[in-house]
Amino acid sequence: MLLEINDIHVHYGKIAALKGISLEVDEGEIVTLIGANGAGKTTTLKTISGLRPLSAGRITFDGKDISRLAGHKRVLAGIGQSPEGRGIFPGMSVADNLHMGAYARKGDLSKELAEVYELFPRLAERKGQAGGTMSGGEQQMLAIGRALMAKPKVLLLDEPSMGLAPMLVQQIFSIIEKINERGTTVLLVEQNAQQALQIAHRAYVIETGRIVKSAAAVDLLDDPEVRAAYLGGDLGEPESIAADEPAATADGPAKD
Amino acid sequence: MKTNESTRERTNGSPTVTNGRPSFAALTPRARDLAGRLPAALRAPGLPLAFPFAVLGLVADLFRDWWGRQTGYVRWAIYGLLIVGALLLPSEQVGGFMSPYSDWAQLLFFPIGGYILLAIGLNVVVGQAGLLDLGYVAFFAIGGYTMAVFGTKFGWSFWEILVLGVLLSALSGVILGAPTLRLRGDYLAIVTLGFGEIIRIAARNTDYIGGPNGISGIPHPPTLSEWTVPESEPFTTLGLAGIAPLKYGALDGRPYYYLMLAAIVVTIIFVKRLESSRVGRAWASIREDEDAAELMGVPTFKFKLAAFAIGAAIGGAAGVIYGSQATSIIPRNYEFIISATILAAVVLGGSGNLPGVMLGAFLVAWIPERIRGLQEYRILVFGGVLVLLMIFRPEGLLPSRRRKAELAEGTGGMGSLGAEVGGPTTHAAAEVGK
Repeated sequence: MLLEINDIHVHYGKIAALKGISLEVDEGEIVTLIGANGAGKTTTLKTISGLRPLSAGRITFDGKDISRLAGHKRVLAGIGQSPEGRGIFPGMSVADNLHMGAYARKGDLSKELAEVYELFPRLAERKGQAGGTMSGGEQQMLAIGRALMAKPKVLLLDEPSMGLAPMLVQQIFSIIEKINERGTTVLLVEQNAQQALQIAHRAYVIETGRIVKSAAAVDLLDDPEVRAAYLGGDLGEPESIAADEPAATADGPAKD
Repeated sequence: MKTNESTRERTNGSPTVTNGRPSFAALTPRARDLAGRLPAALRAPGLPLAFPFAVLGLVADLFRDWWGRQTGYVRWAIYGLLIVGALLLPSEQVGGFMSPYSDWAQLLFFPIGGYILLAIGLNVVVGQAGLLDLGYVAFFAIGGYTMAVFGTKFGWSFWEILVLGVLLSALSGVILGAPTLRLRGDYLAIVTLGFGEIIRIAARNTDYIGGPNGISGIPHPPTLSEWTVPESEPFTTLGLAGIAPLKYGALDGRPYYYLMLAAIVVTIIFVKRLESSRVGRAWASIREDEDAAELMGVPTFKFKLAAFAIGAAIGGAAGVIYGSQATSIIPRNYEFIISATILAAVVLGGSGNLPGVMLGAFLVAWIPERIRGLQEYRILVFGGVLVLLMIFRPEGLLPSRRRKAELAEGTGGMGSLGAEVGGPTTHAAAEVGK
């Protein structure tokens, strides 16, 4: 296993955000973690990349225990992340943003830069533009490209489809597939379950800090509960209303 | 208007640029845009007020473009001219216009020179690393008391104390930063505010360092050379004849001004070099998005601590130099208002941009002295000027291009100065809290 998360608990103050999450990502896979707002998806990713300390449990990466490793050292170990809300450096140009991505690395960057520009021709056109003045889609491309600059073994993507037009979502997801085909393992956190399940090999469903389901992605696409909760379900049938309820409560308050 | 501006920004890089060059034809619409920030009732009378700011912005843009095209030689020539200009500043002719009410040389040393040095130091913390420090005066105080204690009680010389003062204040920056830099935004601001007060109150209550009466009889720096500026042309016309610039006495403020100037020049070189290094890039990334910076492999905590220590060291240097001239210091010299004034200088000058910050510090130090003739109204007028500045140029008088882009984004702006507005952490916390 490349990345192994073993029963992790994370707290914000006294509130438990993760109540014992376990998941595994094998080399070369695309694994997706789907769930509603507030379920703990982002917290899981932040814990893996070291932005949140864990109160219990263990994270093993590439055979080493990284549970207590500082965030910036995990980058060198091979964990790259495109954070929630993209986290572009607004005042830096596209090129500078990409260079920041390789901050921890030494040596020649031209190969990685060329690769990112090839994956995202749009970024090559806008090298000199300030990150903050780009559109949402372009920023998402930049965030993914920037994470790739560190040559990660595993790429953590936090809702790459957030706030993007459907066309762009398609485009981003096909690029994610391409990145994976070139040998980078991907852990994808998504609310857009339909899209995520289509490109992923395996999937986990998270609800209020717990993994409630794990299966091959194709199986979850057909799973009636998952369909009802995350894929719009078959509207109008009585049992799907009942199944919809937990998702609705989890979704409701976070809509502000 | 906001969206209008940002689209223009997107296509041209700068609001008034046509064909890559700013144009004066755009001046009136620009002033109208600025006046549009006022409430409706004030808009028409606000237009003439907005005009100078529009001109300033345009001139700054023009200059920046011109500067970008210059070669190294031209730049060095201009740096040289600026230093020569600064050397000539204490001239009586300049003083007659700049400061009709108080001793110009004294004013140049402190507050003007002192504020500029402090603002450069605070700019490292606020402008570069994006950490809001409301207790910056504490480091100025530590420098001042180091000078006073080691000068009067141990008989150390100024130069030894300068080194010690810089080290001690840097150390105190680390001591303050280590436990507190895990906090962000307004929480950090409150803790630093407390630190500033603790230092002052501790000084007031410590008998060893004179309690509320402070320390007097602080020695001046030793004379380096008796050399005086000859009483001949061109110095007589310039009003500089007869100064002994390296002889530090009790009466003449000008040698101290030159000392401060030297410190400022050295600090600028140091800070500029840092800014363009890996350290500077790390600070910029922390200011713009701290979580993303950590994800890029930037040891954010270490660099924040470094920013605190370097900012503190510069503040300490200013404190030592000030103490060496002041002869006596009391805790009341180090009240919160100094922290607030220096922060105002940084913000109004253009946080993160060195020339802007220095201009801001100069104005904040000079305006209240220049308008002394208004007597008790002067602080009112000063406050009014600050308010106008912030209405018409919220990004500061001379912001960097980059700062403009950060402000356009809305979240980057002042680094974490905007506290926790829409930051990634609050978002996650709020999500869980519900």
